[in-house]
Parts: sequence; C-alpha cells; structure tokens
Amino acid sequence: MGVDWNSFLEGFTTAMSFQNLIFIIIGGLLGTVVGMLPGLGPATAVAVLIPITFGMDSTSALILLGAIYYGAMYGGSRSSILINTPGDGSAIAATFDGYPMTRKGQAGQALTLATLASLIGGFVAIIGFVFLAKPLAGFALQFGPAEYFFLLVFTLSAVVSLSKGNMIKGFVSMVLGLLITTIGVDSQSGVYRYTFDIPHLSEGIDFLVVIIGIYAVGEVLYNILLIKDEDQRIKDDVGKTWITKEQWTRSFWPMIRQAPVGFLVGILPGAGGSIASMISYSTEQQLSKKSDEFGKGAPEGVAAPESSNNAAAVGAFIPLLTMGIPGSGTTAVILGALIMLGLQPGPMLFQNQPDVAWTFINSLFIGNIVLVIMNILLIGFLIKILKTPPHILYPIILVLAFIGTYTLGYSIIDFFILVIFGIIGLFMKILNIPTAPLILAVIIGHQMEQNYRMASVSYDGLWAMITASPIAILFAVLTVASVFLPAFFSRLSRVKFDNKG
Amino acid sequence: MKSRMKFLSVIMLAVVLVLSACGNGSAESDYPSKNVEIVAPATPGGGWDATARALQNVLDKEGLVEQNMNVVNKPGGGGEVGWQYLKGKDSHSLSINSSLVIANNLLGQSDLTYEDFTPLAVLATEWISVAVPSDSDIEDGVDMLERLKEDPKSLKIAVGPALGNNDHLSFVRVADEYGVDVSQLEFMIYESGGDVLTALLGGHVDVATLSISESLEQHLSGNLDIIATTADEPIPEDESIESWQDQGIDFTFPHWRGIMGPPDMTEEEIAYWDETFSEMVESEEWQKVLDNNGWQDYYMNSEETKAFLDEQNEMYEDLMKTAGLTE
Amino acid sequence: MEIIRFIVPSIILLISVIYLILTFNLPESKVGNPTAAMNYPLLIGFSLLGLSILYILSEIKDRKKIFDAYKIFSDRELTIKVIIVLVLCLGYTFIFERIGFLISTILFLGALLFLINGRRKWLMNIIVTILFSFISWYTFAELLSVSLP
Repeated sequence: MGVDWNSFLEGFTTAMSFQNLIFIIIGGLLGTVVGMLPGLGPATAVAVLIPITFGMDSTSALILLGAIYYGAMYGGSRSSILINTPGDGSAIAATFDGYPMTRKGQAGQALTLATLASLIGGFVAIIGFVFLAKPLAGFALQFGPAEYFFLLVFTLSAVVSLSKGNMIKGFVSMVLGLLITTIGVDSQSGVYRYTFDIPHLSEGIDFLVVIIGIYAVGEVLYNILLIKDEDQRIKDDVGKTWITKEQWTRSFWPMIRQAPVGFLVGILPGAGGSIASMISYSTEQQLSKKSDEFGKGAPEGVAAPESSNNAAAVGAFIPLLTMGIPGSGTTAVILGALIMLGLQPGPMLFQNQPDVAWTFINSLFIGNIVLVIMNILLIGFLIKILKTPPHILYPIILVLAFIGTYTLGYSIIDFFILVIFGIIGLFMKILNIPTAPLILAVIIGHQMEQNYRMASVSYDGLWAMITASPIAILFAVLTVASVFLPAFFSRLSRVKFDNKG
Repeated sequence: MKSRMKFLSVIMLAVVLVLSACGNGSAESDYPSKNVEIVAPATPGGGWDATARALQNVLDKEGLVEQNMNVVNKPGGGGEVGWQYLKGKDSHSLSINSSLVIANNLLGQSDLTYEDFTPLAVLATEWISVAVPSDSDIEDGVDMLERLKEDPKSLKIAVGPALGNNDHLSFVRVADEYGVDVSQLEFMIYESGGDVLTALLGGHVDVATLSISESLEQHLSGNLDIIATTADEPIPEDESIESWQDQGIDFTFPHWRGIMGPPDMTEEEIAYWDETFSEMVESEEWQKVLDNNGWQDYYMNSEETKAFLDEQNEMYEDLMKTAGLTE
Repeated sequence: MEIIRFIVPSIILLISVIYLILTFNLPESKVGNPTAAMNYPLLIGFSLLGLSILYILSEIKDRKKIFDAYKIFSDRELTIKVIIVLVLCLGYTFIFERIGFLISTILFLGALLFLINGRRKWLMNIIVTILFSFISWYTFAELLSVSLP
C-alpha cells in the first residue's frame, strides 16, 4: 500500500486544530486519571467515558476515545510502579521492576522511564501503522486456532521460565491460574463447569478481579503485617525525576527492539498488551547480561514491557480500522461507540472517509507527545502519593480495590472473590510463590483451551497441529527453547565457572 | 419593583406549570412518579448496554419521559443477573431483553421465564446472515445445505459467542428443515462476532453464521460473500443478497431486542409505555439509532409482544430439541 | 521438622483432589464429543495433583533448612489486625448493596482508618473518610456515570 500523503497531511492539520488538540488533552488527562485507579484499565475507562462523546462529530469523538485509551495505557503503569497495583493486565509487567525501583527510592525515575518507553513504543508502532497497516492486517488472518494455541503456550512458558530456581512453585502458580479459567460455561460444548448454580460465575471469574485481589488487597494485607510503630515508609527520597545516563543506555535498545514485538502481538485479535508485555519482559531478561538484576529494579525491566504494551495498543487499531474487527476488549468498546456515532470502521473506511482515518492516526502521534509532557509534569505530583503515610494510604487502596471491582461486574459476588484472592496473594507473597504465572494463566487460559479444542477438531493430533503452518512451528520451537535454553545456559555458565574455580 | 414583577411572574409560571401537569397527570395517572431505571443486563459497551443507552438518549432528547432516566448495568449469566434484579423492583424499572429471556429457561440455565415479567415492546431486530470466504466454491445457501446433507461434517461452521444463541439456532433450524442431520454439524464457537469474522476471512472455517450488521461491510468490500439471510425483506445496501426465502426455503428468523418491566404492572402503566414507545419509534432520532446500528424497525406494542413471545417460546422449544441442546 | 511448612502444599493437594472429583461429575456435553468439556480440566487436575506432590517432596528435601516464612505472623497484634481487616471486608460486602455505596463506604473506610491509623488521630481519620467517600462517589456516580447502589 502506498501511503496517501495528501490525506496524511490533511489529517495532520485537522488533528492539530485547536478544538481537537483540546480533546486530546482532555481525553489524555481523563484516561490517565481513570487508568491509575486499580481495576479500571483502558477498556473500562473508554466504556464509562463514552457518554461524553454523544453529540460530537465522529472525527473528534474518535480522537477523544483514542486519547482516553492512550491516557489509560500511560496511567496503568503509574499505579503498578508506585503501589504495586496494576490497573490492567498490560500493566502487570511494570510491577516486576517498577515497584522494586520505587522501594529503592527511584520512583520518579521509574515513572519517567516508563513514560519515555511508552513514547518510543508508541512512535515506532505509529510509524509501523502508517506504512504497514494493510499488509499486516492480512498477517493477523493467518492465525487460526493452532497458531493461537502455540502463541499462548509460548507466552505461558516464557513467563514460567522467569521463575528460575523455583520452577515447581512457578508451575503450581500457572496451573492454579489455568484451573481458575475453567470456571464458567464452556464455549465449545455449552457445559456449565464449577459454577455451583451461581449465574454470575457462568461467565467465569474476571481476571481483573484476580489481579486486584492478588496485587492490591494482597499487598495491603502484607504491608499491614509489617507496620510497626515508626512510619515504615518506602523511602523519603523520591524526588529525583530525571533518569541517569546509565539507566538510559541500559534501556534504550530494549525499548527500541521490543516496540515491534509489541506492535505485531497487538495486531493479533485477542492477544494484546498483556501478552506483548510479558513476552517482551521475559525475552529481555534472557537476553540481558545482567539478568540477575531483573525483578530487583532493573531499568530495562520497566522500559521493555512499557514500550511493548504501548506499541500493542497502536497495533490493536489495525484490525479495527482496516477490517472493522476489534483486536482487544478496549477496541471492541471503541467499535461499539463508533457505530453509535454512525461511523463504520472497516475495509471501506480508508476509501470512503480517509480524512477520518488519517486524522485519527495523526492524533495518536500528537497524543503521545502530549501525554509524555503531561505525565512528566504529573510525576512530581504523583510521587507525593508515596509521601502519604501508609496508615492512610492502605485503607484507601483497599476501598479503591472494592470500587474498581464493583465497576467490573456490578456484583458483590466479585467482592468475595476479591477477598479470597487477597488472601491467596498474601500467602503467595509470604511463601515466595511467583504471582505472574498465575495472573497470566488467568488472562489467557480460557482462550488457550478454546483454541486447543477448535484446533483438535481441525487437525488430527498434536503433531498435525504443530505442523499446521510455519507460524505454529515457530511458536512450538520457541516454547521448547524458552523452557530448556535457560537451564542449558545456566548449566553452561556453571561449567565455565567450575573450570575457572 | 422590577424584581418583584419577576418574582410574581415566576410564581405565576410555576402555578401554571403545576396546574397543567396535574391536568395531564390526572388523566393518565401520575406514573412515572420518580426516576426511571433502564436495566442493561450486560457490561457497558455491549449490545444490550448500547440499546439501553440509545433508548435513554432518544426518550430524553424527544422529551417523551419527563422523569430522569438512568441506565443500570447488571451483567452476568446471559441476562439472568439483570432480570433477577428487575423481578424485585417496582414499575419504575424496565429492562432490555431479547430471545435469551426465553432461551435461558429452556436450556435449564434459569428459573425465570418470560412470563415472570410484563412485556412492553419489541423495538428492533437484526437479521442473521450466512457467509463464506469470497474464494469459496460454495455458490449459495442451498448449495451449502446440499453439501451438509450429504456429509454434515464436511464444513466447519463458525458461530459466536455461545451455543444456543440466535446465530447458532437459526442455522440449525434451516439445516434441519432441509433434512440435514444437525446433531452431526461441526460448530466452532468463537468469543465474539469479530473473532468469527477473523476466522472466516483467514480461511480457518468454511462457513460462518453471524448478524448482517457484522458481515455486511466485508461483503460490500468483497472480502466475503453472504450466501443467505434470515430476513423477510431485501437488504437496502445490496439488494442482490438473497434471503432463504429468495432461495425457495420458507424461513425467516429475527434477532430481536425488546423491553419489559417487572411482574404485575398496572394497565395504566402499560398504556403509558405503549404510548411512549409508539411515539419514540416514529422519531427521527430513533431512526438514526437504527441506521447506525444496522437494526430494522420491528416495533410491537405490549399486546402484540405478549403474543409474539408465546409464539417464540414454542418455536424455541422445538428448536432446542432439534439442536440437541435439550431432550 | 516443622509441620507448618506442609500446610500450603497440602491445601493445594486438597484443591486438586476436590477439583478432580468435581470434574468427574461434570455433565456430559450434549453436542459433539460427550467428554470434550472434561478432558482439559482433567489434564489440569492431574497436573496440579502431580505438582502438589512434587511441592511436598521438595519441602521434605528442604526439611533441614530453616522455614521462617510464617514468622511474619509472630506479632500477634498485627495478625489480629489483618484478621479484623478481612472481617471488615466481608462486612462491607454484606452492607454494600443493602445500605448503599456512600454510607457503607464511610463506615468501612472509617473503621479501617481507626483500626490501622489509631484512635489518636481521630480528626484526620474522619476528614479522610468523609472527603474520600464523597469524592469517590462523585467521581464514579456522577462524572463517570457508573451505577453504584
């Protein structure tokens, strides 16, 4: 596809118009604020803010919704880094190293790094969008059940392999997560599984409730146990906002190379930011020479997943705008909003209303810059949160966790589930069982089973599934590699070490 | 002096308003007397939620309901949670519904039946399409049924998001009427209509059954072919699309959305909503909603709706048995 | 050898057994392969069973090592606080839909603050409670039009 530069420039000027610029700023700010609240990720942020767009013209509405989505992506990592409570699946990876950085007194730097990484991820992906949208839309179609299944298996294996030296606990955590996803009606057969006649359970347990329970509630319970009389604050020195040169050089290449990864994963319908950021985090850990520092506040551990999930957010717009197919929960909500506004995204959009499409793409571009400025300005304000005495902060986080949960399902049954997972989270933390495999399994487990089931109808046996296409083979090989290579390398380095000693 | 005049005129205006309100009110009783709540038995962003919010928007813009209207989300159990909630409310709560209010009970997933509620109206419908990839060698609907009759397992059929929904059941029904052994059909169930489309466009399935609003764009741009629809009228965007009726099979199947109230609403209350909705569906705003969503007008008043639901109940009962979902 | 180190692995073992029993009692699928809905849960159930046994074995192997993970509960006062917090959470769950968001949140947050922040800072507790409850109610119910009870 040749890029239609006329429409592109026209779109740029429209997006730069005063009115639309204001919408970008408002949307970005609203999105950031809502995205920071536990449980309120991009999908909810967009859904609850849709009524604002009623009565607006469709271009401005699309720009505003895009900005909200983006703002929420930026905001999601804020709470991950500051209080170890991701707002959404795609922000989980930011807790791995972002929160340890906060504990080391580098909260401001972690936030800046995450913001810059998001910017770079967004930029690379937007450039990818401009040049590659059409051909890549076709790429997403190559993914049938077998390909998806192996992609998901690979993601899981990549995350479990992170729990080095602790494989049993990592696998226990993962299988528990998979077990949770079997609750609810089984799509392929319509059989109700483990729902105990509670209608609310028929749609399964919302993974966000699990995330909020394990991270927010679990974290608060754990910290209450640690409260002593003296104020046990994280560290008073949170002032430094600007990153050091070393942090920048360590993060630069991870940010650049993980952006395309996130972008490609984002294009796949149903994959999205959570998977992208996990894959990016684990590959960076395996590539890094300082992999020991991962999980203890390595700057590239913040930069890589943040760049990746933002790139995925842009990628998710490709199937939406080129084919009218939403690639993620959030884009599905945006699709619904656009239809209500009388705009039909799809193959005809770039032909019939190229101005709308290109204005939107440009607004993503401008929106990213606006958000970076806004977020860096906000950092000074945000880290004040950390100065709030924990005695007051923890009760508030707990209440926010409940409110966030309520907005997900409007049911108090979720409150019970929340508390149960809070307790589970507490014990996992005490016993040093990694939580990421469980969370990721909860996010993708259902999809994995359903794709496996569909694949087993299409192909006879596992071998036929693996050899279904080059993509399936690729991911099957990557899976095996991610499980066995780390063990292999560590043995190798141990041998070398022995030789030296 | 001036301010006193102003004050007096305000009082006068208020008195006139109150009187006129009473005048109107006493004729039709003073229902609704407080905020009206529209229950969307789904999360924000879904189809039911969209219907509820569109309804709220139009009724408000057209000034048809004087009281405030709020949308309340009660998702879960395919409508079950929202409807259980509605059952315990007074007549100031209404809920969006669809054929699931019948199907859930028949499938044994709910104790609630459509008779537990007061039917108020059917508002709109979508028609369902059967689509194949554009390079498929299946020529039309009858050709496809012929192949399935020969070997029910020869085609993989995509449907979403759940077995027992209208996309699935309408397909089963037409296949059954044609003499296909429907218990042998191979359905693949995808999470959403979007996933069904992706699977079809990527050639991972042979046939998909999904609503026309989901497939029409792709049909118009040549990425797939709609080979049959359940409509009883031509599709305005492309009149060459053939319905089952056009292909000589007497079969239509609406995927309708309606609205109902809690049990035991009074005659006056029902009459109020009949009047309100019949006026609403005539409005331009509502027409815009229909156009934007690809819905067709399918308005029925409360009485017609009741008869329609009885008829639908019977049809679904048969259909579930045929599909092998119930015994 | 401390017995407590086996508590969680045993609970996981128990979960896997219960899960397997439930799985064997799943209804058969009416469409397609009757056991299709069971196979994957069976795989998960047996994996968890195996893993929990491995987990127990690894704890037996480590029995000589010091197991101090539960030392965190040694401060009785704080442990009781956590239990009270959990009870309060359940209490909140029960009153949330009955008496509405605003009142229940004020009660819940107030109780939490008095529990954790102490009685001495009562003025601060009350101000935070009232302010936060109203602001969050206003943000969610009015600005975001989320339907709260």
